[in-house]
Amino acid sequence: MLAADFEVARRDFTVGLDIQVAPGERVAVLGPSGAGKTTLLEAIAGLVPLTAGEIWLDQDRISSARSPRRDTRMGHRRVGLLRQNPGLFPHLTVLENICYPPGALPVQAVATAARMGLSGLQHARPQGLSGGEAQRVALCRALQTELRLLCLDEPFSSLDRPLGRELLGVVREALTDSGAAAVLVTHQLSDAQAFADRVAILHRGSVLQIGDPREVVLRPKSALVASLVGYRGWLRRGDHVLAIHPDLAHPVGAEEGDGVISGRVVGIVPDGALVDVELTAEGDWVGRWHARLAEPPQLGSRLYFRPETAPRFPGSEAVFD
Amino acid sequence: MTIPPATALSRSSGIRASTGVALVGALLVWVALLGPLLALLAHLTPRSVVSALRQPGAFQPLEVSVLASLIALAVILLLGTPLAYLMARGRLPFPRLWEVGVILPLLTPPLVIGLLLIFMVGPSTPIGAALSRIDLTASDTFFALVLAEVYEAVPYYVLGAAAAFASVDPQLEQAAGLLGDGHWRTFRRVTVPLAAPGLATALAVTWARAMGAFGAVLIIAYHPFGLPMQIWVTLQESGLSSALPFALVLLVVALPLPVGAFIWSSHARRRL
Repeated sequence: MLAADFEVARRDFTVGLDIQVAPGERVAVLGPSGAGKTTLLEAIAGLVPLTAGEIWLDQDRISSARSPRRDTRMGHRRVGLLRQNPGLFPHLTVLENICYPPGALPVQAVATAARMGLSGLQHARPQGLSGGEAQRVALCRALQTELRLLCLDEPFSSLDRPLGRELLGVVREALTDSGAAAVLVTHQLSDAQAFADRVAILHRGSVLQIGDPREVVLRPKSALVASLVGYRGWLRRGDHVLAIHPDLAHPVGAEEGDGVISGRVVGIVPDGALVDVELTAEGDWVGRWHARLAEPPQLGSRLYFRPETAPRFPGSEAVFD
Repeated sequence: MTIPPATALSRSSGIRASTGVALVGALLVWVALLGPLLALLAHLTPRSVVSALRQPGAFQPLEVSVLASLIALAVILLLGTPLAYLMARGRLPFPRLWEVGVILPLLTPPLVIGLLLIFMVGPSTPIGAALSRIDLTASDTFFALVLAEVYEAVPYYVLGAAAAFASVDPQLEQAAGLLGDGHWRTFRRVTVPLAAPGLATALAVTWARAMGAFGAVLIIAYHPFGLPMQIWVTLQESGLSSALPFALVLLVVALPLPVGAFIWSSHARRRL
């Protein structure tokens, strides 16, 4: 059980986190670049000292701002950290890397390596591995330490998307087997949703919202959260603003009630199997929105959208375009 | 088949011409650097070497030099390694000040180092008095020879070792720490193996400097004779031809370790 309530001062802003992670639970922290995601993980792993608060793992207070000298040494925390750079030791073979943690049992290491599809690579040098293989080795190595918590700092972001997603699946399985909890930081909403039981939205060092991965997207608490979880449309009328998610902006017929908003198609860009359509609002509404549609409409044509499903925010909140 | 445009052609021939000039320059420097060694070998006959080395006590300066240099190397390794590591990781306050301290002996002429050492550890100084209480004198003793060698050679090791440590990715040390290693175990299992090629080069250069130390030695450790001092004294007393065999011995003893270390280091670098 991780119970963290702490702050770490950075040059530009203070990064804070107040969270409890149950044993075996997976939490994702989603935020743009520079939001302080890596700092959070480094604080939990013991790489940076706290400026306020403390971090508990099970019954141990592993970090405290009041008595940093008594912080648990990072090697004794049983907290793993996977980063984009797998950090394999280039002077050791794959098997020697996996057996690196003091007390690692070679028999167990070989078995874990085999489970991760690394059987033929045990005597290879890290320099000869592909990015995906290197990350598997790093994961295998971390699992030899009887982990209580695995921190993942966008470890697969430099790999191609299908491979990254596959490796997240491998991590999930490994965590289920070991019973360790995990904190993943990422800027990819889809990765956060695929991996985690809960998602926290981080912006400039502060958690804005935390909850079920789908709930956070469907019911963002603020316009800022909405903008961070993929809302790409902002329509203003009077003193409130509607946030529109491109995947939820399904067009309706013009005759389906008074509440519909009409917009004119001003841009069409292919987006995978769908097309991303940009519209400008007409009538009482001011602003633009995007919709992902199966069929490309005519440029300049008019589409209708029912706004009931869109979250509504006070107009005083900033509008992001 | 496409024909490359004229500009590309002329550019590539331009590169070839400049490469040629650079090669000639490099060859000249290489020959010039090896020249003294070739001249030494050309002026030595097997008979002169044998007769010089058959003289009674001919090998004593060699023994003195090797022993003093080994002790100097051990001292430098012991005291210089932590300093080099802290410098490389930027963990020292006022880092520029430390760097200046290390570079200063490198920039100071060895004769001047010898003079300054007299002022620092000579018999009439507080340090000299403290040393005399444990029966050490830093003037014309084996201890003084080791001291002079340490002062002449230490910057080569500290600067070389700092560069070697700086080339080790700190994230690898962090990874070792997260996997359960303490500072010392991380240093032993990750930092040193990865810095080893650079450390070997630094040690090799340091060994050669210690074996060849002369300027400071001349001032504070005229006795006991090490090889460089033996060469100097023989040259003064008996002339060039008598000194040359000792020069050969110095080269034969001082060079294999550095050359071997350089070869191993470049091989090891390729594997990392």
